[in-house]
Amino acid sequence: MSSVAIEQSGPKAVPRDVVVRADGVEKTFDGGVVALEGASFDVHKGEFVSVLGPSGCGKSTLLRLVAGLIERTGGSLTAYGTEVTAPRADIAMMFQRPTLLPWKTALDNVLLPTLIERRPTKEDRERAIGLLRLTGLTDFEFAYPQHLSGGMQQRVALARLLNAGADLLLLDEPFGALDEFTRERLNLELLRIQREIHATIMFVTHNIAEAVFLSDKVLVMTPRPGRLAAEIDVPFARPRAIELTATPEFNALVLKIRDILGSRS
Amino acid sequence: MSDQAVTMGMPAAGEASDRRWVSHAVQHAAVFIAVIALWEASVQFGWVSKLLLPSPVAVVIAWYKLAISSALIWPHFFVTMFEALAGFLIGVVLGGGAAIACALSPPFRRLASPYMVALQVTPRIAIAPIIVAWLGFGMQPKIAIAMIICFFPIFINTLTGLLQTDADAHEMFRSMRASKRQIFRELMLPGAMPVIMAGCKTGISLALIGAIVGEFVSASVGMGVLIQRFSFQLLLPEAFACLLMLTVMGLILFFAMEVLDSRLVFWRHDKRLAEKSRRKAARYTRRA
Ligand SMILES: Nc1ncnc2c1ncn2[C@@H]1O[C@H](COP(=O)(O)OP(=O)(O)O)[C@@H](O)[C@H]1O
Ligand SMILES: [Mg+2]
Repeated sequence: MSSVAIEQSGPKAVPRDVVVRADGVEKTFDGGVVALEGASFDVHKGEFVSVLGPSGCGKSTLLRLVAGLIERTGGSLTAYGTEVTAPRADIAMMFQRPTLLPWKTALDNVLLPTLIERRPTKEDRERAIGLLRLTGLTDFEFAYPQHLSGGMQQRVALARLLNAGADLLLLDEPFGALDEFTRERLNLELLRIQREIHATIMFVTHNIAEAVFLSDKVLVMTPRPGRLAAEIDVPFARPRAIELTATPEFNALVLKIRDILGSRS
Repeated sequence: MSDQAVTMGMPAAGEASDRRWVSHAVQHAAVFIAVIALWEASVQFGWVSKLLLPSPVAVVIAWYKLAISSALIWPHFFVTMFEALAGFLIGVVLGGGAAIACALSPPFRRLASPYMVALQVTPRIAIAPIIVAWLGFGMQPKIAIAMIICFFPIFINTLTGLLQTDADAHEMFRSMRASKRQIFRELMLPGAMPVIMAGCKTGISLALIGAIVGEFVSASVGMGVLIQRFSFQLLLPEAFACLLMLTVMGLILFFAMEVLDSRLVFWRHDKRLAEKSRRKAARYTRRA
């Protein structure tokens, strides 16, 4: 009787769903480059986790390991409770470059994950158009990529990512090649979309303020060899507005991370 | 929204570009007339021997005789064109097929590469007499020679195009769990198409050269036979008329490839692309 009462009381007693669990994950490339040295962390359902660090510290390697695109050379890595050994349906990835197919319209690019599984139906097309609307591309369904600006191309790539229907979204510097203004707006839209579809997100960036603004948790990485230097919880309430970035609490956190990166690189 | 700025690739103001086009056409016509006039004058005034260089008028008369009044030229014309086209198509199948095998299988690529290099550095025309010895005097040896000569650019361009597949896009396909077959069909092949088409454009003119060389070696029909015969008989106006027809044939083949290119690689042709977007959007709104 009493044990049941204890289990039901207090939020700590109910464990949040672990989506990704990395335990000492290592990656040494064929040439002997140690890209990632013993990384351990958890990502929980619905969390927005940033992977932050200077270039070459193994952020992309970490994400590609989680995506099952490359094999780890050590440690254990599970997603939704099963080992990651190959690309899987419940994980989808987006890259810094939009990697759209120039011979397909925006709509057909979004439909690519569907096409790989089966012949797209009318309902699939309607859903894809809905996703383009969600990413702010109403009326551009039939435009070809070369007629779209860089920001719009990334919106198409984002819609395509969402069309994969995965619960865990991996984004590798998705807006890193865009100008400051476009990037900021797309970041805000990414947060809005995540609220709408309840996705779990791992987001690679080398911008400290961006990582703090977006995330529930920041994984700070340092290079040579690439390793996880710290795991920082970001306590700010959601939804967040851009004004947050002007508060002393926000800047204190940014400084703290800058310190970690500065002292160890 | 600054990132929503679209450039729909519209051609620049119509009237101004029309006027420029007309002025360019006039310039070209003027240069053409000047060259022909100089040629005619140099023959008329005896600056060069009539025997060596027939006058444009004589060439036109010879052409009229061959193409219209006797119509003797057409069987030869079509035989040569058929040989070139057949050789080209076989070259596309074999060259493209070999390139696909090399692109998809590194061991095959490694084993095949010395032979491909040998094929490239050998002056392939030299194989013509051997082919004739093998295949006799019909159209087959000419088709084979055309094929061998156009094989290489088609092979190497297809291979290059397939191998330069974007690594990120490839990884994206893998993350979507696409099969090798799907990656090939949806990513590698269309991505390589612009380079493949460039190889085909080179290939088709080489195939025509191959067909003519084959006819020089031995034949009873074909434009090569005709030119050789007229030249031996010192009927140079007729020989020039045949040469002119070969230019026409080359142009026909070239433009056929251009049309094919604008269809197969439509995304590199801005105007077609904008038009295609509009058509697809219209079809969708009609259905809805
Ligand atoms: N395929 C590979 N083969 C060998 N070394 C690699 C490969 N990919 C990445 N590396 C190396 O691993 C390190 C981490 O790379 P990466 O994960 O791309 O860093 P980041 O994304 O943080 O910039 C770098 O030193 C890089 O040169
Ligand atoms: Mg990277």
